Amino acid sequence: MVRVLSQEVDGLPRRLYADGGALASRDMTLLTSPLHDRHVALGAKLADFGGWQMPIEYPGGGVLREHTAVRERVGIFDVSHLGKALVRGPGAADFVNACFTNDLRKVAPPKAQYTMCCDEATGGVVDDLIQYVHSDDEVFLVPNAANTAEVVRRLKAVAPQGIEITDQHQDYAIIAVQGPKSFEVVEALGLPTDLEYMSFTTATWQGREVIVLRSGYTGEKGFELVPKWDDAPALWDALVEAMEPYDGLPCGLGARDTLRTEMGYPLHGNDLSMDITPNMARAGWAVGWKKDAFWGKDALEKQKAAKDYRLTWGLLATGRGIPRAHNEVKDADGKVIGEVTSGTMSPTLKKGIALALLDRTVGEGDEVVVDVRGRELPMTVVKPPFVQTETA
Amino acid sequence: MSDLEYPADLRYTADHEWVRTNGDGAVRVGITAYAQDALGDVVYVSLPSVGDALTAGDSCGEVESTKSVSDLYAPLDGEVTAVNEALDATPELVNSDPYGEGWMYELKLADPAAVDALQDRDTYTASLG
Repeated sequence: MVRVLSQEVDGLPRRLYADGGALASRDMTLLTSPLHDRHVALGAKLADFGGWQMPIEYPGGGVLREHTAVRERVGIFDVSHLGKALVRGPGAADFVNACFTNDLRKVAPPKAQYTMCCDEATGGVVDDLIQYVHSDDEVFLVPNAANTAEVVRRLKAVAPQGIEITDQHQDYAIIAVQGPKSFEVVEALGLPTDLEYMSFTTATWQGREVIVLRSGYTGEKGFELVPKWDDAPALWDALVEAMEPYDGLPCGLGARDTLRTEMGYPLHGNDLSMDITPNMARAGWAVGWKKDAFWGKDALEKQKAAKDYRLTWGLLATGRGIPRAHNEVKDADGKVIGEVTSGTMSPTLKKGIALALLDRTVGEGDEVVVDVRGRELPMTVVKPPFVQTETA
Repeated sequence: MSDLEYPADLRYTADHEWVRTNGDGAVRVGITAYAQDALGDVVYVSLPSVGDALTAGDSCGEVESTKSVSDLYAPLDGEVTAVNEALDATPELVNSDPYGEGWMYELKLADPAAVDALQDRDTYTASLG
């Protein structure tokens, strides 16, 4: 050891606090979650996620054990750094639907939907987000932490009279409860669990309002609970207690990243970006192509017709080694045919896995070589997910 | 850091590596309790090859956790005489037993006395703050 060559979690470079005691110190320029004191008390390793100081992993857990807890039992994640914004006013749903990619009219409120905010000119992805459709006149948005301000800015710039967009980043916390035992844990709190995938309801827990959504970013069954900011610590404590019988663990964002990579879920900044369009990332399923308009529609239709772009594939290592974002992918002749967008060691498979953008000449089952800082790692082209789970 | 151990019979480097003198002009090298704790779960270790001639400060391998990659640096001049092949299949030994089964490689030193110039335990632990 140990000078860190590269380190990233959730796509954002993180500073390793390798200078001794600084690990425990608090960087005052970073925002913190309402659960920050809980994380510090647990001795969590903290890092910068989009301007927020959030837990990467907890002592007694670690990424591998936390990952396994979610795959086999249950884990809870503080994801309060995620943005929150409310779009409200007559026709709010129609307005949002004319901006973002997915067809919001495909879902009947109250239901949530995955969607993307694309750039009008290029079709590049400004952010991917969840929209909670409360009614025709109210849509609650959960963008990524680092992109919230930009999404809000773009909406405000074109919002018609009467549509109000409010940044509620620090009005609500978000706690994800994920894993096969997540139903038992949420039920133990007396919260409703009888929800279809991506449905939500506003419930009451000990006199406090909590939105309960059947969703997640791990591939397992699970919920995302949205309490008011100040109610989050009490809810977290209750969840910690409720998951005790199931050997559940508080999980950091390190495990969240290995879990989502095993499922092939894209991470904005890595697998979706201003340069990686929904077409390239195979996220066309979340694009309402038949809608009259959404930001980037013309650019994306043109690109789709031209079929001249790289496509996202999964890569599974057949040799020892771990692919990393931006590693080059080569064919048997050494010709560069693509680039890794996310890579890690799969804790479930104990093999290197990656998402990569590859030339159109490449197909499923092809053998490729990833250049891992000068070492050649043989990998096979596959269709994600890398592991089979029971999401719904 | 109080729960992490730093044996008194080892020498240490500013790069969080430890060096144990074998008594025959060779040393065994690994990473410290602090280093493995800071990295988190180690999932891949790349070591130099037996016969490699290393100069102090050379990058001679890598340690990877799920989301980090760190260089290993040669602590002293010498030739690699052995590597811990158990780390291929069980890299987690670096976390569970950093000074024992999680050792990394052995060096035949160009100058056996050079070990004395490395940090002793008190100097190293003081540097951790």
